[in-house]
Amino acid sequence: MQRMIVLILFELKKILTRKKALLFLIALNVIPLVASIALIIAYLKFKSFGFGEVQFSMLYEIVQALFTGHIKLFSYIAPFFLALVVGDSFSTEFNKGYMKMLLITPVRRWQVISAKTIAVMLFLLLAVTIGGIFLQADLFVARAITQNSGAIPQQMLPDSLGNLDKPTHLVSSLAALQLLFMTFAGNLMLVGFFILFSLFFESAIIMSFTSLSVLMGLHTFYIIASNFLGKIDVWYTDLAAWVFSRHLSDLFSVSRIEGILEGKLSLFSSEVLSTLGSSFGWAALFYLLALAVFSRKQILH
Amino acid sequence: MKVEAESAIRVDNLNKSFGRKVVLKDLCFKVPMNSISGFLGPNGAGKTTTLRILMGLIPLLDGKIVMLGENLPAGRTRAVEQIGAVVENPAFIETMTAVENLKWFGALYKPVTLERILESIEMVGLKDAAYQRFGSFSSGMKQRLGVAFGILQKPKLLILDEPTSGMDPAGRVAMREILQRIHEHEKTTIFLSSHLLDEVQRLCDYVVILDRGRTVQEGYVSEILAGHLESWEIRIPDENLAQAVEVLKTFSEEGLEWSNCPRGLTLTMGQNMSDRINEALVKAGVKVEALIPKEASLEDTFIRLTSDEAPKGEN
Repeated sequence: MQRMIVLILFELKKILTRKKALLFLIALNVIPLVASIALIIAYLKFKSFGFGEVQFSMLYEIVQALFTGHIKLFSYIAPFFLALVVGDSFSTEFNKGYMKMLLITPVRRWQVISAKTIAVMLFLLLAVTIGGIFLQADLFVARAITQNSGAIPQQMLPDSLGNLDKPTHLVSSLAALQLLFMTFAGNLMLVGFFILFSLFFESAIIMSFTSLSVLMGLHTFYIIASNFLGKIDVWYTDLAAWVFSRHLSDLFSVSRIEGILEGKLSLFSSEVLSTLGSSFGWAALFYLLALAVFSRKQILH
Repeated sequence: MKVEAESAIRVDNLNKSFGRKVVLKDLCFKVPMNSISGFLGPNGAGKTTTLRILMGLIPLLDGKIVMLGENLPAGRTRAVEQIGAVVENPAFIETMTAVENLKWFGALYKPVTLERILESIEMVGLKDAAYQRFGSFSSGMKQRLGVAFGILQKPKLLILDEPTSGMDPAGRVAMREILQRIHEHEKTTIFLSSHLLDEVQRLCDYVVILDRGRTVQEGYVSEILAGHLESWEIRIPDENLAQAVEVLKTFSEEGLEWSNCPRGLTLTMGQNMSDRINEALVKAGVKVEALIPKEASLEDTFIRLTSDEAPKGEN
């Protein structure tokens, strides 16, 4: 166990000392970062001049859009960065010879692949958490604007907004946490997919291009098969159901994100739970396949 | 499960192919405990493949390997905990210092103290570079750090793949001294592959010679050299050369062979023939100016065993 912990920490240290990992953390969290600055400026302005009904409704929309935008952007660009981070942890290490240095020690192969996977997961969790912290900071500022309660002050609630089927609260911390967990779970499946690919390449760039091309190809097939070909033959619809990337679309759909933000859905809602279960199932399958490949892999240089 | 203890390594019927190319064919050999053993063979003989299987870089699929009494692959972890391995061109993390690298990689065996790390680094002569980044090391320094990593946990067995690869002559001498010191001070059994025969002959007391994936000879160096044909150089004046050859012809049935050399002849003969040949030459009136023994070397054995015409030994 101690050996495993050392291995995980070692892998995490290697990831965090790479420049592209830092760029990854910044790029993924660009929305919360910029929004924080913008909200602080807005707060200072509102504090000075006060705000009226129009400004409040704007604030509500801004916070909703902020979360939706961040989660969507994260889901779009995370694959590109994750492919590179996984590629560096596996493909580059085969190429540079770091892998042979690990494998001549008493660590077992399943420990190596598990530790690397956990380290990438922890890194992903860090990326998600940083975004989460900034979003919470944004919420904090927004709450300060709404007199520090998180709820819209009754006297400020315009009649028109009150009649709408929308909560009178800004985004709750629980909803934010649930969204961040979904982000983590969805990307975990991609981590498994990229690890499987990275075992066949010794260049992180080539591995990234290849795996992303396959991912895009699969997803294009899913879109065509489920929307068009399925109308010709139901067989295509059945086949499209096995395209793992469809769970990413489901998980990060705008309606799903807004549902959670507005409190209509939670992680335990059946539709969210089944998608999360599928994501974890695919992640486990990719991990097991990668383990089988890695246990027989020959390190030749 | 402990099965055998007298050999540090025992390999039986090891087979390995890359696609259709057979690299190791029923390979068998052993490495005695407390020895410095050399693993010799021409390029492509299968040395590196064998060492990679021993180190766990290539999965063992066909054959039996016992290291320090542990059967592979089941007992690999227990065996490797007591083994130091030095791969050819060690690849530590370039952005970390020598100390940091040994601390992290060493901790994968068991936690290691800074004192021991510095002691290992000092043993291989890298004291001044302990806090330099690995990326700034020369190839010789990298090789030395690889050895420092190999000995870090005071292993019972040290396996080295071409430890002097890429080193200059002074570096090779230094490496030889380092390995001898480790063997003497820490009682470590050493198994190293090399294609530098003189280096192996100076350092090793046991050798395994490999050719085309099979063991063609193994044994203690002293025993292998004792079985050699003796080689002598005799210095005689040119005018006596024809007369000398006539005398030598009388010994040809006993296996004597000769060839011309710059100031006389080179004789290859069975043991204890030199005094009789000298006596015969003198009696025939040949003026023998000098009779110089040529030291037997592993190179002769190696070339004889691994040349294309050589009969291939059975394991």
